[in-house]
Amino acid sequence: MGETNVGWLSGIDRTVGRLVEAGRWLVLPVALILFLQWPLRDFVRAWSREANDLGQWIFALYVSLAMTFATRERAHLAVDAIAHGYSQRLRAAIARWGGFACVAPWALFMIWTIGPTVQRSVLSLEKFPDTYNPGYFLVKLAALLLAVLALVQALIDLLRPAKD
Amino acid sequence: MEAGGLWMLLAVAVVLLGTGLPAYAVLMGVSVLFGVIGVAGGGLDLALLTALPSRIIGLLENDLLQALPLYVFMGALLNRLPLADRLFRCGVALGRRSNSAPALATLGLGALLAPMNGSVGASVAMLSRSVAPKLAQRGVPAAESTALVCVASTLGVVIPPSLVLILLGDAMMRAHTEATNVTKEMVRIVNTQDIFRGALVPAVMFLALCLIVAWLLGRRTPARGPAERPQAVEWATAAIAGIFVISLLAGVAAGYFYAVEAAAMGGTSLLFYGLLSGGLRGGAFRAVLRDTMAVSGALFALFVAATTFTLLFRAFGSDRLLDSWVSLVPGGATGAAITVLVVFGLSAFVLDAFEIVFVIVPIVMPSILTRAPDAVWISVLALLALQASFLVPPTGYAVMMARSALAQKAPIRQLARALAPYLAAQLVVLVLVVLLPGIAHLAQPKGADEPLVEKLDDETARKRFNDMLKLPPPPEE
Repeated sequence: MGETNVGWLSGIDRTVGRLVEAGRWLVLPVALILFLQWPLRDFVRAWSREANDLGQWIFALYVSLAMTFATRERAHLAVDAIAHGYSQRLRAAIARWGGFACVAPWALFMIWTIGPTVQRSVLSLEKFPDTYNPGYFLVKLAALLLAVLALVQALIDLLRPAKD
Repeated sequence: MEAGGLWMLLAVAVVLLGTGLPAYAVLMGVSVLFGVIGVAGGGLDLALLTALPSRIIGLLENDLLQALPLYVFMGALLNRLPLADRLFRCGVALGRRSNSAPALATLGLGALLAPMNGSVGASVAMLSRSVAPKLAQRGVPAAESTALVCVASTLGVVIPPSLVLILLGDAMMRAHTEATNVTKEMVRIVNTQDIFRGALVPAVMFLALCLIVAWLLGRRTPARGPAERPQAVEWATAAIAGIFVISLLAGVAAGYFYAVEAAAMGGTSLLFYGLLSGGLRGGAFRAVLRDTMAVSGALFALFVAATTFTLLFRAFGSDRLLDSWVSLVPGGATGAAITVLVVFGLSAFVLDAFEIVFVIVPIVMPSILTRAPDAVWISVLALLALQASFLVPPTGYAVMMARSALAQKAPIRQLARALAPYLAAQLVVLVLVVLLPGIAHLAQPKGADEPLVEKLDDETARKRFNDMLKLPPPPEE
């Protein structure tokens, strides 16, 4: 791979890395909002449904970023009872090509099938169906984001130069 | 085409073991491959597969799943804060006259913190780091110490309100809904709260037996290690933590607040404790956030992949084939219960609790619950089977995790001997729950268990199961 390509890839890699890492703070508002939900419901008797909806879309954004973060951190659960005996080179090749072959087609299918739904939802700024609180379109947008990030990360891992 | 899903299962097992690729990627890859084959061969309708996005959105808007990052957050905080260390020191100091104090304190710590922790793996990591070195200081042999870490780490599988219990509760609710669609019975669908209460009594029985075992074993050994003299602030921290965890447990079991809210309370309280005590200074806070996001992402990826897999499995109609096989198992409800134990026991040798809950439960449970309608009982048996399987050496999940996490590697034979009394305790509880299903209902409030009016025979159940599933017409020859 040429140096230009490597530079281009590194740029995308850094951008994805910064984006998903920025999401790690989102667990704090999720915890705080859901912590407040009980007193809001049982004592204040107001705003608990708003808190629930707010927590919902922040949670959706958080996990959509977290899936790719886990890939970058090599945190996914795996069973390597047999594969741990393979050579490093073979394991790296399996991770590179196998990871791409498994994840990229799934992500492409998701993007293809969810795209129109998300477009409609975003254009109409869709609200939560039960409460009519704003922000439901962000839940659907998060599903698309999850698939796009999974595809981009699979491509980065495939095209990244091998470490000798 | 009905066998398609079973070939998918086989392909997942082969690729998972043969490549060492992450489980979520394997589930996605196998699903896509079989989806392409099915559509190309005319056995699958592409329109059926376009239901996938709505299922994924369903995961993102699932109230219960919000608990996932919160439990992981609690686990990460517990792993970084000195709380486990303080609780252990106070536990040992409480039992200073007993040689069994370190073992009892380890089990007590597991009972208190494992339900708040993210997973068995997280509990093993926490106890291996904070407790195992102290056990070694007191001259506890490596095998005994490893066995204690394993048992204490798996207590979170059965003691509510752990993450495994929450996720199993959600999966069982879906499976029970499908089963009642088949049986057409007017029964209340089991929920997470029911399973919490169902697991409570067997969990207390198991914990009590383990404490007795640890106490008896400790009495035979000579006095060990220096006495602990915690400071007043440590006693206060331990007391507040104990009261707080027990209050959370009681609040969830009594239905005062939801498990998600309990997790949020636990996470927020631990966060403030960490910030005020200075335990999250330096890079510790950022490390907690990183750990939380990585583990949450790994678990959610598994959820997404399992949702894809089960959609394909059902689209092939393999659940009907599986149902017909389950109908061949003799023994009615007890036969179905034993099937659960065997399937879960075998699965747990290679899969984590989460993988089993996400992949095996949605496939196996609906047909089991059409024959054994007591969903709470079946859930409790599944939890006990899971916990037992994690403890069986050499491949039990907790055993493997503990052996890799601990600096002192216990020989497997010695470890098996050290685990044997705890496994015997587990077997006693398991047999009692199989023979006396009422044990799973002792903590349920009155009226919660509506009995079924009519029980279905296998043939009727299979017929209704087939009628329920609307699948695309078979391809024309």
